[in-house]
Amino acid sequence: MWLLAALAAVGDVEAAAADRDALARVVRGDHDALAEIYDRHARLLYSLALRILRRPTDAEDVIQEVFSQVWRQAGRYDTSRGTVVGWLVTVARSRALDRLRRDRGEPPSADIELVSRDVVDPGAMVDLQLVDAEQAARVRAALGALPETQRVPLELAYYEGLSQTAIAARLETPLGTIKTRMRQALLRLRDALAEQGR
Amino acid sequence: MSTADTEHDALREQLPVYAIGALTGAERAVVESHVRGCTACAAELAQFAPVAGALAQIVPLHDPPAALRARVLASTGARGVAIPVRRSPSWAPWLAAAAMLLVTIGVGGYAVSLRERVRVLEGELREALLRVEEGERRVNVALKAAADAQTPLSILMAPDVRRIDLAGQPVAPSASARTFWSRSRGVVLTAANLPALPAGRTYQLWFVTSQAKVSVGLLKPDTDGRVTAILDNATNLPDPAAVAVTIEPEGGVPQPTGAMYLVGAAH
Repeated sequence: MWLLAALAAVGDVEAAAADRDALARVVRGDHDALAEIYDRHARLLYSLALRILRRPTDAEDVIQEVFSQVWRQAGRYDTSRGTVVGWLVTVARSRALDRLRRDRGEPPSADIELVSRDVVDPGAMVDLQLVDAEQAARVRAALGALPETQRVPLELAYYEGLSQTAIAARLETPLGTIKTRMRQALLRLRDALAEQGR
Repeated sequence: MSTADTEHDALREQLPVYAIGALTGAERAVVESHVRGCTACAAELAQFAPVAGALAQIVPLHDPPAALRARVLASTGARGVAIPVRRSPSWAPWLAAAAMLLVTIGVGGYAVSLRERVRVLEGELREALLRVEEGERRVNVALKAAADAQTPLSILMAPDVRRIDLAGQPVAPSASARTFWSRSRGVVLTAANLPALPAGRTYQLWFVTSQAKVSVGLLKPDTDGRVTAILDNATNLPDPAAVAVTIEPEGGVPQPTGAMYLVGAAH
């Protein structure tokens, strides 16, 4: 088991290095390198965008925007900060949530307050880290096993970009309770990841 | 318990939500400034990096349409220029289909009309590329102009300078701006593609916090919709959650009343 895990870890390291190498070639204007990154990660990014937006044409537009951004900004991305795929996922989620908000007619022009209060801002100092298939299955199971009172706020935050304040309002639940439940849900998912594989 | 401890406990509670990217810009800024100085919180934060990854990975997986790959690669262009999409949702697959039809059907009235359509689309593509190039050139010129002058340079070089990019809103989708903010020295803003102002109106720049909207200054774009503003008297502004530009009556107003043209969350 540990051998498989070790091999998988080596695979991850190699994949991450291949991504970094491809990104460096994108900086030099190499279209094939962009295609390489697309071929490795478009499925994940598209699936995430589709989960958020639910309309295939919207998800396609988001993927197009993500890769345009990669093409233009590859040189600005500091690869020591985290994996390339972590960056791609963050950009894709951020773009998809922007579009979702635009479609909902939310913040922008009408209410300047909402910009500071109710809009989730997806970037983070610590980049996200992909997990292997077995860990993903455990997280999926753990999420499914959460009580609805914990699962729903988490899904509204991650897949719909609602702030905790907005979630509290929508679910007519005190803000403090929402914060506690989201924390509990995420602790549970972290623990599910830490469990040993069977 | 000291206030630092109280703050630490309150922010620690928010770390998991921060890690999955589900805090607002204002909340996020508070957590980030705490985590920079707190190794315990930084270590705890790292535990949630795989949770953030897993949430993206556990969605139902779907293959993107095959035509999307061609569309993505075509959009990056031959000279390394990206075309902003956002217009018609999916002309590229259609273009590819049209090209295939041309090959297989040969020349007929249908093919001729398709060829005409393709020609028009190609023309639009060239125009879009030129527009992007022009836009980039203008931003570069504006940035250079800003950097050339002494005051903006001191702001741009300030140790506490932060950059906040603003995006055009539905009333001005092609507008964009970039602000450089130093609490001690002031604000430099460059904007492009702002719509022409009607008589008696001005653009006004705001720093938005969860408590207040603070006027930073007025903006008068030139006839091309460009403006570079050096607001070196705007010192000691509060840490913004967002920066916004609205349209207001001439002379400006104490609180925003008009439509928002540009906005960006501060990171």
